[in-house]
Amino acid sequence: MSKVSGIIDKLLFFTLVPSFFLALWLVFIWSPVERVMGAPQKIFYFHVGCAWVAFLAFIIVGYYSVRNLIKPNMNHHIAAGISAEIGVIFTTVTLLSGMIWGKSSWNTWWTWEPRLATTLILWFIYVAYLFVRKMEGSWENIARLSAVFGIIGCINVPIVFMAIRWWNTKLHPVVFGEGKDQSGGGIAPEMLLTLLFSIFTITVLYAFLMRKGIEIEKMRDTVRRAKNRAISRLAS
Amino acid sequence: MSILIDAWTIAWKDLSNELKTKQTIGMMVIFSSLVILVFSFAFDPTNNMVKAVIPGLVWLITIFSGILGLNRSFLSEHENDCLTGLRSAPIDPSSIYLGKVLANFIVVTVVQVISIPVLFILFDYRFLGAILWFMLIVIVGTFGFIIVGTFLAALAANAKNSEMLLPVLLLPLLSPLMIAAVQGTRIVLENQDISDAISWLQLMAAYDLLFLAACFFLFEFIMEGS
Amino acid sequence: MTYLFMTYTIIWALISGYVLILGKRQKQLQKEIKLLEEWNTEQ
Repeated sequence: MSKVSGIIDKLLFFTLVPSFFLALWLVFIWSPVERVMGAPQKIFYFHVGCAWVAFLAFIIVGYYSVRNLIKPNMNHHIAAGISAEIGVIFTTVTLLSGMIWGKSSWNTWWTWEPRLATTLILWFIYVAYLFVRKMEGSWENIARLSAVFGIIGCINVPIVFMAIRWWNTKLHPVVFGEGKDQSGGGIAPEMLLTLLFSIFTITVLYAFLMRKGIEIEKMRDTVRRAKNRAISRLAS
Repeated sequence: MSILIDAWTIAWKDLSNELKTKQTIGMMVIFSSLVILVFSFAFDPTNNMVKAVIPGLVWLITIFSGILGLNRSFLSEHENDCLTGLRSAPIDPSSIYLGKVLANFIVVTVVQVISIPVLFILFDYRFLGAILWFMLIVIVGTFGFIIVGTFLAALAANAKNSEMLLPVLLLPLLSPLMIAAVQGTRIVLENQDISDAISWLQLMAAYDLLFLAACFFLFEFIMEGS
Repeated sequence: MTYLFMTYTIIWALISGYVLILGKRQKQLQKEIKLLEEWNTEQ
């Protein structure tokens, strides 16, 4: 078991490093400069990648929350926590890069564009989730409560997106279908390839961070238990 | 059916307690009046801007005073371990939730009945909209707020700093409801096309139903252990 | 161009910040393990 997970770790690491440099090369050198927006358009690649990972991390929090409610499990509890932590990082990155991109192309730091606003709400839900996990009490208790909150938060995100979209289209509800398409109709094939590759790279980065974080958190738990045992032995 | 009867028993317990002391409702009314007062300093009420901020203010005072009441609703059960008593009673845990929702909803509605007219008077706002639609929007919006609020109050009651935790948990989850409620209220108060308000109302109703179902089923997990 | 520079600086700063946090946790763990070992040898 540990051998397999060691191999997975190595595999992830050795795909991560070259694909990272390749992604940077693709983004900065290979892909053409957009005519209208110029160089800041290159923010787009990593912005989209981080946004994708932010939502993916949240779905994974929801998945482990459901698993945890069905049967409390320390590993699932840890996985959900680490996923939420990484999610906060990537949501922050998405928000900041989105703001800077907005500044460069629309000349405002913030617009209540549905995707941007949903990401902001998502950030708040993540932080609230981490606060729930910071509560004191036995881990089973916290696992259950945070799982409940994770599920409720997951239900909320699509509703937020829809509400903000309705709000933005000035009271002419569109449920599904054409919105304001950001990337424009035609995207150059080089750009598309670069975009897909950077999304792939960031997903690998997420998987790598996730595994490392879970490993460390598990070790922390083991050490905590060993310490408690040692203390009680010393005391007796 | 028995769930509803049990729920009403619990709601009646809370309400009669409240009728005896009148402490929570009194505090909530005073607090919401104070919020109105502070806002009338912030936005000059003689200005023409009043029309633009009134729909938001209706919901701000509801939420701010509502959070006060929600905080009390489960913390007060911690005294003398009343919650353990409730849990060991031969009733479905979901009926505790429904009862609390009912009690909180009635309390917040009573506060609204007083504080919303106060808001209109202090801001010297002439009400021209359709009053029935306005009431419907307020009721559906408040119900959604209480559904999620009661659930999270039960969740937050497990923490030591639950008064601080509750708003942090509650406000992001309320954001879609609040957008819909404020927009719907604005349309009604400005006497615009009512069909737009209806689509916001539908969104609120969908939110209410979805979260009522989710909270109803998940409440058992909050009550376990703790 | 400055915007581009700014964005990527922020992205790397945040991600490496998280890696540093993970590293700190690991260091803390090593310290605790050492402590446990000392206790064991004392016995």
